[in-house]
Amino acid sequence: MEDIKAYIESGVLELYVLGDLSAEERADVEAMALKYPEVKAELQDIEQAAQLYADVHDIETGDDLRNRVLNSLMTNLGDDRNFTKGHYGQPETPVHSITGQATPTTSVFYKYAFAASLLLLCLCGGALAIVSKRLQSANQQLVTYQLQNQKFSKQVKYMDQEISVFRDPSFQFIKLKGNTSSNSLTVAWSPKRKKVMVDMTSAALPATDKNHQYQLWAIANGKPVDLGMIDATKADSADMMEMKPAEQAQAFAVTLEPKGGSAKPTTPPLVIASL
Amino acid sequence: MAKKHKINLSEDELISALRRHEKVAAEALYDMYSASLYGVIFRIVNDTTTAEDVLQEVFVKIWNSAGSYSADKGRLFTWMLNIARNLAIDKIRSKDFKNQFKNQELENNVGYIDLHNSTVYKPELLGVKDLVETLRPEQKSILDLIYFKGYTHTEAAEELGIPLGTIKTRLRTAILQLRKHFN
Repeated sequence: MEDIKAYIESGVLELYVLGDLSAEERADVEAMALKYPEVKAELQDIEQAAQLYADVHDIETGDDLRNRVLNSLMTNLGDDRNFTKGHYGQPETPVHSITGQATPTTSVFYKYAFAASLLLLCLCGGALAIVSKRLQSANQQLVTYQLQNQKFSKQVKYMDQEISVFRDPSFQFIKLKGNTSSNSLTVAWSPKRKKVMVDMTSAALPATDKNHQYQLWAIANGKPVDLGMIDATKADSADMMEMKPAEQAQAFAVTLEPKGGSAKPTTPPLVIASL
Repeated sequence: MAKKHKINLSEDELISALRRHEKVAAEALYDMYSASLYGVIFRIVNDTTTAEDVLQEVFVKIWNSAGSYSADKGRLFTWMLNIARNLAIDKIRSKDFKNQFKNQELENNVGYIDLHNSTVYKPELLGVKDLVETLRPEQKSILDLIYFKGYTHTEAAEELGIPLGTIKTRLRTAILQLRKHFN
């Protein structure tokens, strides 16, 4: 019995009534109250006193609040007809909690912000696609121009060479002619430089078939010397085509030979010229 | 002040009507307890709009969880009181509330309310005011800190700078003093 008295006097029951105990402690007090009638009676007295203290400090609420609260209870029930008629003159007051008002505005803001970001993302994607397409075509153009540039610079090189042939006094120009036809070919030869060039622009030779090519010969001391194939279809072939070097020559001749050339002429010369 | 007649039911009648979600139960519940609960809530949150919102939340919660109340665990009022105190304390500890009332001092308003309140004549409370007056200031301050400011007894001990044991003793004697009213 002393224990119970000490338990009561510890003040734990007061804390229980004021809601100032943990869940475990509460369960403990409830168990004690079930077990000991004295504890239960004490609790009841404390509860009564607590209610009394609240009653003394009560604050009357207005009719507006009463209607608002009762409406919210009835609305919760899913049937507000009971409360929209009768002596509750006021229409239902919409209920907003403080937190409830803040959330919709922020969520609307975020909704718009999200939509705006999506739109921005789409615009950025479109712009990027256009720019990359332009970049691609610019790159293609650049490649084209580079190729053209290469071609031009090669051409310039060849033309330089060509001009140098005309400027160089050691070059002599030999016009090779056919016996009957109007076939002709001009060869520039510099014995000093051992250089032989063929002027492709003025070349007038019949077209060959796939298996044959024209071959240029120099006749030195009565013997034909191979000076290379005259390849009109060769890429980048400039106006002047450089042939194999020749130191000595009494005559130049062109024969039609199987593709790749022959060691010795196998056909009579098509065009020929003696110095 | 022409008050409408108020509905009063016995606690048992009220509880069973509450569980059946009868309209009369809602009205009786409000008429019997709103002023006391509002008094507690207002003293905790110290703001009319917030107190009204909390009171509404409290009644909604009582209404929806009446089934979980058991008379074995004590008076209906104690159960409701704890719902009210918890919701009110949750509210003042919420971020929204703190932002709203950053610069307001909570300490000095209890006395102010007491001066402006309870003008309604209540025969059952005759003499209780005098009884409360007889509480010693140190008893009343502990009771008010815990009851109306949402302090735990540990927090109250820190606030007042006195040992936990003393807090419990003083709280007990304060309530014993109030209990004299019923003897």
